[in-house]
Amino acid sequence: MTPDLVGLLRVLSGGGVRYIIIGGVAAGIHGALRTTLDLDVVYARDPDNVALLVAALAPYDPYLRGAPPGLPFELDEQTIARGLNFTLVTTLGDLDLLGEVTGGGGFDQLRTSAEPVEIEGFECWVVTLPKLIALKRAAGRGKDREALAELEALLEERDRPDV
Amino acid sequence: MRLHTDYELSPDPVIEYYKKDVDRTLLREHLKLTPQQRLEKLVAFMRSLDRLRTSARKGR
Repeated sequence: MTPDLVGLLRVLSGGGVRYIIIGGVAAGIHGALRTTLDLDVVYARDPDNVALLVAALAPYDPYLRGAPPGLPFELDEQTIARGLNFTLVTTLGDLDLLGEVTGGGGFDQLRTSAEPVEIEGFECWVVTLPKLIALKRAAGRGKDREALAELEALLEERDRPDV
Repeated sequence: MRLHTDYELSPDPVIEYYKKDVDRTLLREHLKLTPQQRLEKLVAFMRSLDRLRTSARKGR
């Protein structure tokens, strides 16, 4: 299934959820060309925001990705409060909800390194390109090296005086 | 060369090696688009790939 990335963003922003886009979708928004199949977001963990998140996602049947069907899993406020990071499948596509991220901390810390973008009239916050590079470097995954090369080239191109 | 960021990233020789193969002409074209246009292009590309995979499976 091709994920409906714009649909997922519409659901989150339309529901008033406070979140920051990171990962491959953030890279795509900044201009990277590598494809991604899931949406990674860092969400604010205060009770009000968690309630908004639960309400926004409920119609899209969030379930643990890779888990056998039929587990007594429900993405509700208690579940989110007890956990931190959730890798989910929804009817709109795969969604990773991250309470914290290596090298970036939680929502409040990351917010200082995020910027607003407008997608379909909604305001979405996306991590800045330099911070995205820093996060990927902090993750230290070998598979990210080619992606990092593209992101760093993108940063150089973006910051060229003639662009 | 040191990247001009707030995070003082020193060059990683492996990343620098991969960087030589990045097609910057495509990046420059992409940088002319708005964030929404970039996202739409990404989604359209994923849909195309999906259709291609489905067609390839049918053809087997």
